Amino acid sequence: MSEVLNLQDKIKNELLDISGTISEIVDSYKQLHSPLVETQKNVPKATEQLDKIAEQTAAATHRMLDTAELITQREDEVIAGLNIIKEKINNKNYDEVIELCDDLALKASDNNNDAFVIMDALQFQDITSQQIDHAVVLLEELEKKLHRILAVLNGEDNKDLPEVSVSKKRAFDPHADLFTNKTNQHDIDSLFSKK
Amino acid sequence: MSDLKILAVDDSPTMRRIILNTLKRAGFTDVVEAVDGKDALAKMEVDTFNFVITDWNMPEMDGLTFVTTLREKDQYKTLPILMVTTRSVKDDILEAMKAGVNNYIVKPFTPETLKEKIDQVLAG
Repeated sequence: MSEVLNLQDKIKNELLDISGTISEIVDSYKQLHSPLVETQKNVPKATEQLDKIAEQTAAATHRMLDTAELITQREDEVIAGLNIIKEKINNKNYDEVIELCDDLALKASDNNNDAFVIMDALQFQDITSQQIDHAVVLLEELEKKLHRILAVLNGEDNKDLPEVSVSKKRAFDPHADLFTNKTNQHDIDSLFSKK
Repeated sequence: MSDLKILAVDDSPTMRRIILNTLKRAGFTDVVEAVDGKDALAKMEVDTFNFVITDWNMPEMDGLTFVTTLREKDQYKTLPILMVTTRSVKDDILEAMKAGVNNYIVKPFTPETLKEKIDQVLAG
């Protein structure tokens, strides 16, 4: 009878031990599951941000190239025009010289305006750098989660983990976009006019 | 030429240059730059400005905190403030209005829009 009781105790202890091990496994799984899910969610977000940056950078660069081409084309016309002026002065065709000067002044003014178009297009740098900051923060979060996963796998306690270092303090708008605004300027003006 | 003294606050050096050039073209030549709200407040301690253009997302002190801090001080209660930011979510705009900005421009902006908003704010 005592042997049976001993065996019962032994089985009970074994079961308790197994149950404890299962609880530990479940706890570890829970610790791993949340960062893994977040990691899985953040990878496409970071990728999407980087794709957006490449796309918007290309579009802004093309806009600047188009404008720079217009400027250089006009500059060629200005140089040619100045040569014609020289000829006309030699031939004393002063009325035509005045007309050409007006034309060249107009081209110079167009170049000035186009230089400002390029300057405006350069605002893309501020917008894409905010998108890059957003992607970097997402990647830094991933690094932290992976750090936690590795710690759990190594049997280390979460609270004993050293902090993952952050490269710099970042301030960005996660919705920053070169082409699409959530609210357009007209609607913003309406909000302020009601003030 | 305008005799307005403007403080332009933005953490992006590119944006500060663009704003400065745009203002210069519009006839506003007296412009001082600040890199964030904290830097702007320090500059305002030693200088007097008639107009402030500020970004929102900046390290150290963001634009919203900067505007709120200014509006808490008697001498800046009526100082014209224009916010120029990428934030275009309606709730953000309402929050900026509540903080006390006089007008709001979403980046990227055109030189015409900047000039128009400055004129509107000055006209009250």
